[in-house]
Amino acid sequence: MSDGAGPSTPSRKRSRWDIDEENDQLEQPQPQPVKRRSKTKSTKTSPAPEQAQHPAATHTELQRTSTVHKRPPHSVFVPPRTLHPPLMPSRSVYCYERLNSIEEGSYGVVFRARDKVTGDIVALKKLKLDEEKNGFPITALREINSLMVCKHENVVGIREVVVGDTLTQVFIVMDFIEHDLKTLLTTMPAPFLQSEVKTLMLQLLSAVAHCHERWILHRDLKTSNLLMNNRGTIKVADFGLARRYGDPVGVGGLTQLVVTLWYRAPEILLGATKYSTAIDMWSVGCIFAELLLKEPLFLAKGEIELLSMIFKLLGPPTPHSWPEYQTLPLAKSISLPPPQLPQLRQKFPHITAAGVDLMSRLLTYDPEMRISAVDALKHPYFSESPLPKHPDLFSSFPSAAAGEKRRKPYESPSAPVRAADHKLLTDFDP
Amino acid sequence: MSTSLYPLASLPQIEKTPSREDGIPGDLEEDLRAYGCKLIHEAGILLKQKQVAVATAQILFQRFWFATSMKQFGIGDIGMGALYLASKLEECPVRIRDLVNVYDLLLQRKAHIRAQAVASSLASTSSSTPSWSELKYTPMSYFGNTFYDLKEAVVVAEMQILKRLGFNLTVVLPYNTLVNYLRVLGLTSREDVCTKAWGYLNDAPSVEARLQTPVYALYSVPTIVCAAILLTTRHLGIALPSAPENCWWELFDAEWEDLSSVCGWIMRLYRERSLEDHTRVMGMVAKKGVRQWLEEHRSVGGEVR
Repeated sequence: MSDGAGPSTPSRKRSRWDIDEENDQLEQPQPQPVKRRSKTKSTKTSPAPEQAQHPAATHTELQRTSTVHKRPPHSVFVPPRTLHPPLMPSRSVYCYERLNSIEEGSYGVVFRARDKVTGDIVALKKLKLDEEKNGFPITALREINSLMVCKHENVVGIREVVVGDTLTQVFIVMDFIEHDLKTLLTTMPAPFLQSEVKTLMLQLLSAVAHCHERWILHRDLKTSNLLMNNRGTIKVADFGLARRYGDPVGVGGLTQLVVTLWYRAPEILLGATKYSTAIDMWSVGCIFAELLLKEPLFLAKGEIELLSMIFKLLGPPTPHSWPEYQTLPLAKSISLPPPQLPQLRQKFPHITAAGVDLMSRLLTYDPEMRISAVDALKHPYFSESPLPKHPDLFSSFPSAAAGEKRRKPYESPSAPVRAADHKLLTDFDP
Repeated sequence: MSTSLYPLASLPQIEKTPSREDGIPGDLEEDLRAYGCKLIHEAGILLKQKQVAVATAQILFQRFWFATSMKQFGIGDIGMGALYLASKLEECPVRIRDLVNVYDLLLQRKAHIRAQAVASSLASTSSSTPSWSELKYTPMSYFGNTFYDLKEAVVVAEMQILKRLGFNLTVVLPYNTLVNYLRVLGLTSREDVCTKAWGYLNDAPSVEARLQTPVYALYSVPTIVCAAILLTTRHLGIALPSAPENCWWELFDAEWEDLSSVCGWIMRLYRERSLEDHTRVMGMVAKKGVRQWLEEHRSVGGEVR
């Protein structure tokens, strides 16, 4: 917790763009711990979009906390008792006014709603509890807990959990974010610029690093689970498959029915029961490729087809590239194609050598060798030209989730086919 | 994990718990809390459940009674619900049927002991301590109503815990903090210190580990750990710098008033209790018992006033 890997991206960015403010903060005694603490607090209590009023809030908060706790300098790890939240019962769902439904999935329905008191627009996710025989579903518990544990600039913020009239109505209240990256990618006229891809990747990686640091595996990273607001910030969402992992990993067994097919790491495809943070990193690699290509990297219809597509792009695994390959349960039932060189360079002709290097480190066969989120954040790709673009300079888009109509400047030709394809394939999702 | 802020009871909740609001005296509430925790602990052992899940269950259980009165829910049901929920949280779920069976066995044992105690107090032959060794336990039938009623009770209790605690189930256990603090203080070489301090964390009279006091819902983990170390070192006569300006607990950001209060909570568990006090709580595992007690004592209290 001491290395502060979590919020590294936002603070780095702020330092580049708001130089005066950073200086101000440095003058305060022990800026690091207080800043982080007040950040969590302000995201919880301040309802307004954080990006806009964040600097001011941080500043006043900072002064207050530093004057109060001057006497004994408290350790970061022992926050004063007053910072602990009180024991509060769930509020009623009637504190919110329903606006429109955003989407419906296997987990339940998501509504857009307005807080009746503050007027904030939020997303309400209704959990499906009707057919539960074993009490409150463990998956929903994991989701709520993961969201609460993983509070981060680039993780969708959970505000509270509210209940309806009966015990079967439970809603997770989250910050409303205008877009998901999947819809954005299929509808935007031109792909993201290199500088934009870097910003998005840095945000994604810092969120994933934050989750992994807190012992949470997301297990379903994909572009449709990455939300993006109109201020160039992406938020990792849908922790419906997330769970805690331990050291050693996989005690008690982990399910293989995780991660949407296209983003599923080869070790899960081959039946590994002990997997870890590396599976999320593979998904990050697939997302990286998708941001560059504007379409999913592996558009496979089944697991076998996916494996052969992976083998084709990266070359089949060798004892050198993946020593444990033969020990995996399903490895024997798969015949490897003849050896062949990786095709990454040909697939991505327009990115730099550093970009290809990062991609190949994310899409590394051997989970042990695959790059971690913390290391990926330090990859040279992010420090070479073009540098990551500041989020505020991103263009904004009409939000489908908020029911906004987009003007059609010109037809994006392949979208309908792909959208249909996508729907067909997500039906396979566990 | 240390930066995650777990909820603690607020000052009004501590000053007047919902149970006391309903006329349940403080010492009875304390006894019932301790007894509920003891049941959770014993059920955990019978279920071969991990200690982390049991400890988490006990902390959730303690928090619950800062949000709800014991007149509304029984300590037995909420204990079951807490253990069921904590087992899911710690990724080691238990089957409802196993949980229900174990609680049923435990409660039958307690009923047996209570009956024995009543009988022996009538006969005034208090030579033999009551035990459940002669109990003939009859398991409930597989599809019987008892099972379905208890199962329903578990599900309802779980949901009530979730709802009344606002779904904030962040629990931080004290064990790793204790290990670290003992290391800092250079006490890890003394095995008796480690064992005893560990015991005080669980409020354990040597054998049975249990977190019976509400301190985990009242104070932060560092304070509780410091209190456990304080009790241990005082007990074993180990000198640590304790004069003002140079107090060892300040190293861990604990304050003296909080420490002495936590120590008070823990030590109160060890006070001499009459057999009557012990058996009294056994009759109040369900809310029915609590309500009955309130009825009886309200009339008495009314006369006195």
